[in-house]
Amino acid sequence: MEGKGINKKTFQERGWLKLDNCAKLFPAITSSELTSVFRVTAYLKKPVKYSAIREAVEITAGRFPYFSVSLGSGLFWHYLEFNNRPPRILVEEDIPCTAFAIKRRNEPLYRVLVKSNRISVEFIHILTDGYGAFEYFKSLLYTYFKLSGNQISKSEGIILPETPFSEEEIEDAYNKFFQKLPPPGKLEKAWHLPFRLNKKPRLRLIRTEMDVEKLLEVARGYKVSITEYLVSVYLFSLQKIYLSEKEKGGNQKGHILRTEVPVNMRNKLPIATMRNFSLFILPEVDMRLGSYTFEEVIRMIHHFIQAESDLKQISRFLSSNVSHEKQFIIRILPLFIKRLVIAAVYKGLGSKRFTGIFTNLGSVMLPGEMQDLIESLEIVPPPPNLKVKVSCAIVSFNNKLRMCFCNITESNELERLFLKHLTDSGIHIKILKNN
Amino acid sequence: MNICSNCGVELEESLMQCPLCGMNSGEPVAGKTEKLNYPSDIINLHKREVRKHLWELTGIIAFSGIAVCTIVDLVIGKGVRWALFADVSIISAWLFLTFIMYKFRKPWMLITGLSATVLFMLLMFDLISVDKKWFIQVGLPITLALVFFVCMVVILYRYARFKGFDILAFIFLSVAGFCILTEIIIDKYIAGHINVRWSLLAAVSILPISLILFFVHYRMKKGNKLDSFFHV
Repeated sequence: MEGKGINKKTFQERGWLKLDNCAKLFPAITSSELTSVFRVTAYLKKPVKYSAIREAVEITAGRFPYFSVSLGSGLFWHYLEFNNRPPRILVEEDIPCTAFAIKRRNEPLYRVLVKSNRISVEFIHILTDGYGAFEYFKSLLYTYFKLSGNQISKSEGIILPETPFSEEEIEDAYNKFFQKLPPPGKLEKAWHLPFRLNKKPRLRLIRTEMDVEKLLEVARGYKVSITEYLVSVYLFSLQKIYLSEKEKGGNQKGHILRTEVPVNMRNKLPIATMRNFSLFILPEVDMRLGSYTFEEVIRMIHHFIQAESDLKQISRFLSSNVSHEKQFIIRILPLFIKRLVIAAVYKGLGSKRFTGIFTNLGSVMLPGEMQDLIESLEIVPPPPNLKVKVSCAIVSFNNKLRMCFCNITESNELERLFLKHLTDSGIHIKILKNN
Repeated sequence: MNICSNCGVELEESLMQCPLCGMNSGEPVAGKTEKLNYPSDIINLHKREVRKHLWELTGIIAFSGIAVCTIVDLVIGKGVRWALFADVSIISAWLFLTFIMYKFRKPWMLITGLSATVLFMLLMFDLISVDKKWFIQVGLPITLALVFFVCMVVILYRYARFKGFDILAFIFLSVAGFCILTEIIIDKYIAGHINVRWSLLAAVSILPISLILFFVHYRMKKGNKLDSFFHV
């Protein structure tokens, strides 16, 4: 990690950090169901060694002190309070991504879970996004393997515990790159899946594995990236459900099928912050114009993603989000009113903007010696809200792509259509047993 | 290799108990519940802490109220008279809150606690008041009658196959029965003989509502659950 090293004590003496622009949303909307918690998991080839993971967690926490924080409540804003505590090491439960006790004093906002041959880390989005989580996770795995007696001679792409951390890692990148720009166009409300919700606890996972090479080959056949291909399949599957509901004569509210696709802004702007720095593009198909063939969907989505992920375009979302936070009236509102306003705006507007969420964490690269010790890597996205109902996240590692659907409904029709489309395209899919 | 039978992690040979889940050779170790082994344990711990803080806060408010009432009565009234009523009311309210906060999911303990609080409050009022004593003849029987009907409703609710409109109908019938018993007890205390009048009117008015609810439950909406029907 490049950047000017800073004294750890200076950071700890500072005592607190402002929440980044994205994190400000989560304390207001987080609940026992909408936990805003995501999980990264490594399936190892051998059972986890308790003594090694305990030591590794403590060492790694020292390298990432900005994660050793808890949520504080000020008069106007929440903030992150330094608590100097490593994450808890707990046993993995059946339901992933359970809520954090964010209001509990000195409670860490991430935790390490172990069971059998699995090491997982769960983060609440207040702390970081998928990129930050994987950077921490890679460092934790590296330390764990070393402490377990494995020889790891190479460490490229890994933040080593002994390196100093830089000021850049705790920077609020949203504010750093904020510039006043015209806001993005207003979005119409999206159509939502009509399925009945599961009884509590609602969350159900479908985990699958597929070959990256084969998927890449199919995507290249359409001259698109894996993300563009899978988003198109996602929207095409949504279209099938939309049309079948229309045929049944159901009362359709909204006619836009729209997927939220997070974009890691660190790939576009020169910063290596470990806090949230993602924005979104919202590919869509408008069903008022008629139904689409898959080729039409993929062509539209390819051009849409190419155009919308352009830095200038996506910066409009950054500008819009940050300018709300900067308004004087909003800044001086007491926190309890802010929370009510944010929760109401999210419920009334935010959650209705898109039909589904599709996250691609990309390809995780580890040194060969570490790669040999890991069976697979996986990400579980945060549980979707009651409107969106299904979310999907993928990560690829060692030529295998793991796809995880989080579903809170009684139906798995979306997953079925999605995976059937892939198998029809010649991609072999393995559905994995839930832990 | 020493592997925990519950969480499957490898433990050092010298470790007899898994530090993660507290299991010892496949059996949970005594006192395991006090440890924080799972993510949901933290949430439950936080709930208990919040409840305790709330209870302590209500205690401070309640006992400040008692102190204020007693001192005001002492200073202005030159003795503790009306403040005794206020103090007993505040203590009873605090006990009420305590039982609701700590025994909410244990209906029998909650009913026992709340009835004991009501009886304590009425007995204290009776002892403090200088008028004719009424606790044994009026306060105690009316409270017991109320407890009886509440218990009946709870039993029905717990054992009913479909918790539907029949529960509401039974609550209405219980209210009617409670009104009649109350009038009987009061008549006996005041006049020495029983002359049931207003409670009968109340019961007759309630009866058709109960019958309609029973009809709706058994003939039209059998299987409809109250929580689904009234969910907001």
